[in-house]
Amino acid sequence: MNAVRPRVTLGRILLYIFSYSFVLIWLIPMLWMVITAIKPDGSPVTVLTELIKPPFTMDNYQYVSENASIWRWTWNSVYIAVVTTALTLLLTSMAAFALSRIPFKGSKLVFWIIIAGLMVPTEATIIPLFLMMVDSGLVNSYSSIIFPSIAAPLGVLILKQFYDGIPKELVEAAEMDGASKLRIWWSIFLPLSRSSMAALGIFTFISSWNNFLWPFLAISDEKMMTLPIGIPLFQSGYAAELTIPMAANMLASLPALLVFILFQKHIIKGITMTGIK
Amino acid sequence: MVEPTVPVKKDGKGHIIDKRAGKMTSLIANKKVLSLNLFAWLFLAPYLLFYSWFMLYPIIKGFIISLYQWTIGNERTYVGLGNYQAIFKDGFFWEALGNTVYFVVISTPALVIAGILLALIVNSRLKGTGFLRSAFFLPHILSISVISSIWVFVLQPYTGLMNSVLKTLGVTQEIFWLDSANLAWLSILLATIWWTVGFNMVLFLAGLQEIPDDLYEAARIDGANSWHCFRYITLPSLKGVILLVVVLQSIASFKLFGQSYLMTNGGPGTSTRTLVQYIYETGFRTNEMGLASAMSYVLFLVMVLFAIIQFKFMAKKD
Repeated sequence: MNAVRPRVTLGRILLYIFSYSFVLIWLIPMLWMVITAIKPDGSPVTVLTELIKPPFTMDNYQYVSENASIWRWTWNSVYIAVVTTALTLLLTSMAAFALSRIPFKGSKLVFWIIIAGLMVPTEATIIPLFLMMVDSGLVNSYSSIIFPSIAAPLGVLILKQFYDGIPKELVEAAEMDGASKLRIWWSIFLPLSRSSMAALGIFTFISSWNNFLWPFLAISDEKMMTLPIGIPLFQSGYAAELTIPMAANMLASLPALLVFILFQKHIIKGITMTGIK
Repeated sequence: MVEPTVPVKKDGKGHIIDKRAGKMTSLIANKKVLSLNLFAWLFLAPYLLFYSWFMLYPIIKGFIISLYQWTIGNERTYVGLGNYQAIFKDGFFWEALGNTVYFVVISTPALVIAGILLALIVNSRLKGTGFLRSAFFLPHILSISVISSIWVFVLQPYTGLMNSVLKTLGVTQEIFWLDSANLAWLSILLATIWWTVGFNMVLFLAGLQEIPDDLYEAARIDGANSWHCFRYITLPSLKGVILLVVVLQSIASFKLFGQSYLMTNGGPGTSTRTLVQYIYETGFRTNEMGLASAMSYVLFLVMVLFAIIQFKFMAKKD
């Protein structure tokens, strides 16, 4: 941080006014969602004075939770995101450890083949993936969403880069003491890479949580849908009135908001570290 | 681990190069190398299983499918490169590709400039910086379905927030945001900026924080004003991050699907239909899997091109 405190000038005051009015405008769509979700059906939702005045109601929330499978979709989303994240962390860290610390024939080649996968967007493989899922009977299953996500190579790249930086002496000392490779990975590399793992984990979780295109194709059974797929389906029945759809939006966003509030610092650090959308 | 009793030298890869070490040592070394190989493959196997099954295989299978007329019911006829010829003659394909490129061209500069702007605001040491940063980033964590739904309601004629705000500002006519091609693109762009710019902001913020303060102080002493500082210190220092964001943003924009599909469904007509949506419709609605796969391959090649540019530039950065 800078030791020099900025002086109070006209410029700074204008900057304050500009920044805070801008952030207010920025948040309007979200505030509007929060408020319309608790307004009774049919109340005027574009007049500010009407918006902030009672009556307020929880009826919309009740209606959504009774008439949409929203809790089921939330559970599906949570389950898929948690399993995807756990498996991604476990498998990519094992692979990264092998590539970084165990010399073997073809190590470089394997690494480059994995890294080449960074160039392949899911969008380009939806057709073969879908046909594979149909052939193996995995359509409409959790696995159909989880498996392709685990194949993403980003984790291998990030963790290998981190593992490459762990001093050789540490490993040699452990080997002297008779530790096996498995032990070295588990008791040295995993604990040391905690912050990289956190960044990768949060990144994986959010990507899975917001994944749209692939679950949209792979899931047609309403019971197996995730929130991003179920919400538009539910809302398609409400074109004119918006209090109920907004309550659905709110319910769909609550878990993500909670994660954001809890892990804000990690999320932002993770983006800086991975730099990948 | 048994250590050789004879002192040995090792080369960079750990192979024993001292000939005096003799037969005994090389046997032990061989055994060690073998067990290392086995270990490495055991560690790699679980990941590689998923990688080859869901990454490598689909790429190969996708190409094979693209050579056939292939429906979901698994009826197939070999047509060679016929599908590729067909898509190059397909006006809708070119329209979708054009739409996608158009979105890349309008959204990339907008999202880069907006990202720098927000990063500058957050980086100017105002009180409540943490709040500003969180607020700008917040929409990014919402899912595309929620974002699209909010914006469709905001932009809805007669009952939407946007038009009623514009009315109080003196705009008398009702604007149908999603009913004309230009306004629909503008709407998709607005929603996309709101949704994703926080991500770019974080990258720019990291870039800004790496610029040493002395640079600015020295410039101030030499009589530079804020614009000079921005133009001759901030912008050149951010060059690397700007390049990175441009590449990442182009890739993300090229894959546009959710926003346009959910907000306009490609409309009005087909004027906001993107390449990914056209692939989806060809494959899953008209059941032309072969044709859709050929289109995917074109998409894939474009993405590889982007990625090569990205790698080149990332390699430079290191």
